[in-house]
Amino acid sequence: MTTETIIDPRRAVREASLKELRSFMRRFLRNPLGVIGLVIVLVLIFCAIFAPLIATHDPYLPTLTARLSAPSADYWFGADELGRDIYSRLVYGSRLTLLIVGLVIVTSAPIGLLIGAVSGTVGGWVDAIFMRITDVFLAIPKLLLALAFVAALGPGIVNAALAITLTAWPPYARLARAEALVVRNSDYVNAVRLAGASELRIILFHVIPMCLSSVIVRMTFDMAGIILTAAGLGFIGLGAQPPLPEWGAMISTGRKFIFDQWWVATIPGAAIFIVSLGFNLLGDALRDLLDPHLRQRN
Amino acid sequence: MISVEHLTVNFGPSVAVRDVSFTVAEGESFGLVGESGSGKSTILRTMVGLNRDWTGKISINGADARSAKRRDLARIVQMVFQDPYASLHPRYTIGQQIAEPMKINGIANPDARVGELLDLIGLGAKFQFRFPHELSGGQRQRVAIARALSLSPRILLLDEPTSALDVSIQAEILNLLNRLRKELNLTFVIVSHDLAVISYMCERLMVMRNAEPVETLSREQLRAGEVHNDYSRQLIAAS
Amino acid sequence: MTGPLVDIKNLRVAFRNDEGGYNEAVRGVSFSLGREKLGIVGESGSGKSLTGRSLLGVLPPYARMSADTLSFDGIDLKTISPRQRRALRGGRMGMILQDPKFSLNPVMTIGRQVVEAIRIGERRLSAAAARQKALEALESVHIREPARVFNLYPHELSGGMGQRVMIAMMVVRAPDLLIADEPTSALDVTVRMQVLSILDELVTQRGMGLIFISHDLNLVSKFCDRVIVMYAGRIVETLDAKHLHDAQHPYTRGLLACLPSIDGSLEPLPVLNRDASWLEAAS
Repeated sequence: MTTETIIDPRRAVREASLKELRSFMRRFLRNPLGVIGLVIVLVLIFCAIFAPLIATHDPYLPTLTARLSAPSADYWFGADELGRDIYSRLVYGSRLTLLIVGLVIVTSAPIGLLIGAVSGTVGGWVDAIFMRITDVFLAIPKLLLALAFVAALGPGIVNAALAITLTAWPPYARLARAEALVVRNSDYVNAVRLAGASELRIILFHVIPMCLSSVIVRMTFDMAGIILTAAGLGFIGLGAQPPLPEWGAMISTGRKFIFDQWWVATIPGAAIFIVSLGFNLLGDALRDLLDPHLRQRN
Repeated sequence: MISVEHLTVNFGPSVAVRDVSFTVAEGESFGLVGESGSGKSTILRTMVGLNRDWTGKISINGADARSAKRRDLARIVQMVFQDPYASLHPRYTIGQQIAEPMKINGIANPDARVGELLDLIGLGAKFQFRFPHELSGGQRQRVAIARALSLSPRILLLDEPTSALDVSIQAEILNLLNRLRKELNLTFVIVSHDLAVISYMCERLMVMRNAEPVETLSREQLRAGEVHNDYSRQLIAAS
Repeated sequence: MTGPLVDIKNLRVAFRNDEGGYNEAVRGVSFSLGREKLGIVGESGSGKSLTGRSLLGVLPPYARMSADTLSFDGIDLKTISPRQRRALRGGRMGMILQDPKFSLNPVMTIGRQVVEAIRIGERRLSAAAARQKALEALESVHIREPARVFNLYPHELSGGMGQRVMIAMMVVRAPDLLIADEPTSALDVTVRMQVLSILDELVTQRGMGLIFISHDLNLVSKFCDRVIVMYAGRIVETLDAKHLHDAQHPYTRGLLACLPSIDGSLEPLPVLNRDASWLEAAS
């Protein structure tokens, strides 16, 4: 009997969390569109990780004899104006896409989350100042701000990601603040408040976990937008620079041949479309599961 | 133990509580009864510092509620909320939630005490690894009581502790509260709209209506029907 | 009128669970209702609200319902079209929910909502006549200044007032069947009596059938003619309200015993020991 009472608490908590995760997965798998979205995203990640193994050609090596060749057994999606294999460039391009998305998300979401949670929980003049700053950023057209930023710092992937971050965090702040306003007056927060918890502790351990789910949903939706903005910057030459196989830049160079060699521009365009769709489908499914307003109490 | 003098609470332009005074002796159970919106819950919330805009004087165990530090107050007075579905954090296990007040106040070895507390309120230590949504309303209310007891307070404020529960569960919770009061020598202030619950739980009670106190009665007066106010009589007739 | 107003045989309602199977929340409920006040009592999760909702056809979309018989005044509710069902709901069947705040349109004045309810029944009525009728309806539920309340918005009303407006909207439709789901539990005790007496008038004067769903045994026994006690999706006992205190089933007796009373004993309250055999009690 004594063996039963000696439970490692950390393991037991982990097991309880795992159980939650499993039940979450089960509900997720019931939504076919969400599963499609997840598969698309997983394929993207897989491509990025194993790019050297999946690619059939060197994405940077020009083969002048193969210039603008049509899709064939050798060049699955054809070749571009320098004779580089478009399929291999797409595969390597997924790394750039994920890099930008990742950079933007890890910078913008936590900034927005923290500002929103502090703002909503503390209230008063802190709230007023933070929210006015947020308003200012929201009032500037996204692409314009990004353009100005890239123009000032010079084109490049990291700068493009920073530029997008600059415009991407305010919605998170708004979202987190709205959640925090509800949570800060809830009885479970009041209970820890009565126990003498500091505002910092309340924000970090009690308010932010409740904001996370809506932020995650918003993040998945945002990823599609980030991919599009990054591609847009690449298209006008302010994002990734040649010879990097960035999808937007690839469309940009393919533009010249769109009437005669359609695949040069169309294939990367299709990739952008599919990946954005994947993130949106995933976001939709996650929202159905996580949105506190759609979820029932039990 | 508790004395409230001329307490008035404002919510913006409206008055939620008007000139309420009462005292509660150590070990006593005091009831506040009245209809929704009569200000009884507001009194409890003000006593623990969840409302800021009030006038009057509240003293708890000799300390002035306005100037006392929240951490000092936390060891003396704790509160149990009405809705057990809203008073537990949905993302933490039961054990984590009961341990939280002890971690905040630097009490040694909170994990062992979580087990003791869960045994005390009749759920058993194995419940600490569950999440709130796996528990029924009555079980959640027990957890909320365990959390309130984790700092070993001397006073428990109970805001409609059973009104969200089924009657059979209500009986279990009321029995539990009475047992805890005896075992831990606690002082209770209970808010309820149900006169029968107050009569069962409290030695003295105050009837409230429209933010104002109507009259203060002892349980014996209530049971003997020695009631002076018409409104109190209506309440008795209706329950 | 012959035959019962409502006839239900072997009603079952199930919800999908996480594992993909179904959990039955109502498990074979059968009863019939004449022009009387029938109480359905049970704890949360006993299936009492779902039973009322099945009758009106307002179950949540993910619920699965089946019944051998489900009829209202001879109309088979299982086979009628959604359109006929809507017509029934707007006219001959009505429902009052626990919280009037969720049932009234927040951006329309009370008066307009009552007038709209009148117009559903009588399309040709002139605006002035409809208004007059709405004011009368508000007055009939003991609202003191109907003309003032007419122009208010729902958020300006107290809970009791809102509930009375809901009833007024039911009164103008003069339904044959009213399903009241915890109509008084959000109300203060002093208002509760008024609302109950209005419901009572409707039944005795207009010959309406009333299904009164509540968790409050004492209230139901005082107010209704007949009481059905539900436990875990089944009917455990059907009683004459007058004889509630002679209930046979241990569940009903347990529910009665565990209530504190103003002049009751101060000993620990008896608690309900749920017996597994209750789950399979005869319906």
